[in-house]
Amino acid sequence: MSKSTIRYSGRTRARAIKTFLGQFLGYGGAQLGLLCLVFFLVTAAMPNILVGPLQTAINATGDFLAPPSGQHLLGTDEVGRDVLNLVVHGARISLTIALLATVISLVVGTTVGMTAGYFGRWVDVWLMRLTDFFFVMPSFVLALVITPVVLEVMGRGREILGFRPSLFVILVVIGMTSWAFVARVVRSQTLSLKERTFVDRARVAGSSNFSIMVRHILPNLVPQIAANGALVVAGAIYVETSLSFLGLGDPLQPSWGTLLSLAQRAGAASAGAWWYLGAPGVCVLTVSLSFVLIGNALDDTFNPRRRVIP
Amino acid sequence: MSRRIGRILLRAVITLVMVAILNFGLFRVIPGDPASLLLGGARTSVTDEQIEAQRQNWGLDRPLFPDQALDYLSATLQGDLGYSFKFRGRHVADLILERLPATIVLVGLAQFIAILCGVMLGVYAGWRRGGAVDHAATGVSLALYSTPSFWLGMLLVVIFSTALGWLPGYGAYSPGANVGSLDLALDYLRHLALPVTAVALGLIGQYVVVARAAMSDVVTEDYMVTARAKGLTGGQMLMRHAFRNAMLPVVTLITLNLGYVVAGAITVEAVFAWPGIGGLTVEALNARDYPVLQGIFLLLGVSIVMANLIADLAYGLLDPRVRQ
Amino acid sequence: MIDSSQHKGSLLEVDGLSVDYGLKGVSSRAIDRISFELRAGEAVGLVGESGSGKTTTAMAIAGLLSPNARISSGEVRYRGNRLPIDHDAAMRPHRWSETSVVFQGAMNALNPVHRIVKQIAEPCMLKLGMSRGEANARAKELLELVGIPADRGAAYPHELSGGMRQRVMIAMALACRPSLIIGDEPTTALDVITQAQILKLLGELRSRLNIALILITHDLSVVAECCDRVMIMYSGRIVEDGTVAEIFAQPKHPYTRLLIESIPNPASGKKIIRPIPGDPPNLVNRPSGCAFHPRCPSAMGICATELPSLDKFGQGRVACHLHRSSQHDKVAAHA
Repeated sequence: MSKSTIRYSGRTRARAIKTFLGQFLGYGGAQLGLLCLVFFLVTAAMPNILVGPLQTAINATGDFLAPPSGQHLLGTDEVGRDVLNLVVHGARISLTIALLATVISLVVGTTVGMTAGYFGRWVDVWLMRLTDFFFVMPSFVLALVITPVVLEVMGRGREILGFRPSLFVILVVIGMTSWAFVARVVRSQTLSLKERTFVDRARVAGSSNFSIMVRHILPNLVPQIAANGALVVAGAIYVETSLSFLGLGDPLQPSWGTLLSLAQRAGAASAGAWWYLGAPGVCVLTVSLSFVLIGNALDDTFNPRRRVIP
Repeated sequence: MSRRIGRILLRAVITLVMVAILNFGLFRVIPGDPASLLLGGARTSVTDEQIEAQRQNWGLDRPLFPDQALDYLSATLQGDLGYSFKFRGRHVADLILERLPATIVLVGLAQFIAILCGVMLGVYAGWRRGGAVDHAATGVSLALYSTPSFWLGMLLVVIFSTALGWLPGYGAYSPGANVGSLDLALDYLRHLALPVTAVALGLIGQYVVVARAAMSDVVTEDYMVTARAKGLTGGQMLMRHAFRNAMLPVVTLITLNLGYVVAGAITVEAVFAWPGIGGLTVEALNARDYPVLQGIFLLLGVSIVMANLIADLAYGLLDPRVRQ
Repeated sequence: MIDSSQHKGSLLEVDGLSVDYGLKGVSSRAIDRISFELRAGEAVGLVGESGSGKTTTAMAIAGLLSPNARISSGEVRYRGNRLPIDHDAAMRPHRWSETSVVFQGAMNALNPVHRIVKQIAEPCMLKLGMSRGEANARAKELLELVGIPADRGAAYPHELSGGMRQRVMIAMALACRPSLIIGDEPTTALDVITQAQILKLLGELRSRLNIALILITHDLSVVAECCDRVMIMYSGRIVEDGTVAEIFAQPKHPYTRLLIESIPNPASGKKIIRPIPGDPPNLVNRPSGCAFHPRCPSAMGICATELPSLDKFGQGRVACHLHRSSQHDKVAAHA
């Protein structure tokens, strides 16, 4: 169990952060993960500066399925687009979907877990029954049926918040179906936190339930949420890539999964176009591994004793 | 003992009910009249009278709840999953049953290989923690864990099928293979090799990670010191005292990983055009064949609930502490 | 120093044994040149605070040191033969057949997924070569011996109370008829009444079966119940060694005296338990001279500079400068 300190003074907080960083960065995996992650985040932040605007079949610059060359470092796809260009833009799309889905998942998971743990009794029973369902049913399976239906209902026309509708729907659905693990962890942590004296003190001082939860319990949940958050991102990337590969993505805003789907349809594997299917796959592997390594290192730092993935 | 089993069964039933509710509700919110949807792609050529007739025929003019819901439930329980849009007139249940064996072979074999290799490797890595095998196995496993299985499949095709030409990378049979011959069986196995490897590799990573973590916890337990004090050899300590305790978390986590199994199998089938549920899923997604999608969801939901049920019951056999 | 040829009757001789633990490059000495002997059938208590090295001593004798421990000097002899305590595989035949251990907190010391009869029968099958049937029969006998009905053998550890589990541990320790049992805080997690019952059982069985006992504890009163002799350890060294009667009546070392005074004794009418002032010493950076001098009420100048040796004093031994002058006289007289 982590030692949750009740209230830090400025200096002790600074010292706590320093020891935490020292310990966290002591793990080789954390260093590697952070390094890769920074690289991809920078790439995703400025794709236009790095490789110019996203190429389409109309403004494609190369031959069809040409292997890597000086002009096209990662070769070209079946309509002559530069694979490097596609992969760099894909970074922006894949990472945005994964990170936003994670935010949704953490918000829902924390809210459900904290509410269930704090109020207990029937609230707990019913919320945990709901959580059990999402715990048992994998996000991928739920998203597989929910996404096309929601798309059908919404129509596929206009963009939402700058996303093509299918991407928006995918990220919301992944977020709404992958929070169960977070909810369980947060609930059990809340159960032990609410018995601590500082919660009683706040209650005696007349704080409302909401203010106790937000000001006293939530800050102490940060370690658990952070460690699980990193693993949720890895899961979200996996699900998004798989769904896009099955054709639920959007060809106009291709994520890495969509690129793999296009590569599959173009017969890249049997044509031996390893660059076309290799580049997005290596990206998925690297980013996902980075988050797993960071999550494990965070968890080892906060709970030295045990950690089991998933 | 019976109370625990009762609780497990209750949870399974609740989950199944929620699967049914989702399945019923989800496909009723699709815009456009279900009847016109059910009449298939030829929506323009259907007259209003025909649609109205179908509505009455299928009871769609009756209230959603309880009438339609009960109809749906009783039809589902009788195995009637409706008709496909794409494969016109075919029963969804028939389509699924037709494709199911190929998937069972693929997933079953891959799971078997993955559990065998993954658990053995993970147990050994955790037993000899910090050793060369541990470092290598942990590194490779984390990488495999982070890799989508279908991408592994694509790489396998590029290497073993396209570049080396050793194994086929498409379908389940070569065209023109003799029906009923030994060649046919060999041909099938050769087609099976790459997809099974892809699914299994995707799973091995997780099983190694999980088994290793479980084993590293077990070796620090006091009863392992007792076993050592009793003069047991390393092998005896591992087999008699460590292994079964390490399997407890592994059983639970293997079922938690079912999502990866399903995602892995469906996407890998799509890569290899394997004639199973995965291929059917892709076809249904592309054709917006909602009844088939609905049927697949039901199948997956029921299988997952059953797998969890079996795992919960198996856990009780392994760990006397929860039997009470 | 102990000369084995002169002690035909001794079962176990520990001679100048030092054990270091290496942790992240820092090495700390857990026990420092420990020497003592144990006669067959003798019961000795090994008493000290946590970190005093009593558990390391016991684990070294049983050959159960953890991999990061290193034996830097000395040896352990059993019936006159050197024990390969730094060699795991070579110790195996010795374990349980000659020396068995009753661990503390028997909840985790017993495997949660096996029935207790199986766990008791296991060493009978593996070490004594019994068949499964014979081993099970022996296990049931042993259960009866420690006061558990044989039909409870089908129970799992979690179904038994703490006292019962400790009885199972004792039955298990007796399985291969060892000559030495090491009790590692065997009664620590138990309530006072159960504790007394377990100690009584252990004492009775060991004297009936003529088994030597080394009882590790931080509680001096536990020793009084079932030991002949007691050794007091402080900061990795033996500071005093003597018969139970002698030590309780006339403690020589100031630390022993403080330990005895800190035992709550309702009969004597003492109202306040006096804890020993000061903190236990740091093993990585031990105080110079006598490790106890910063906490010692009778400390002298020499205590901070010179390490007192463990010398014969009366019937027993003591390591304290307070008793040195008389010791010098004796040595002089002997010479």
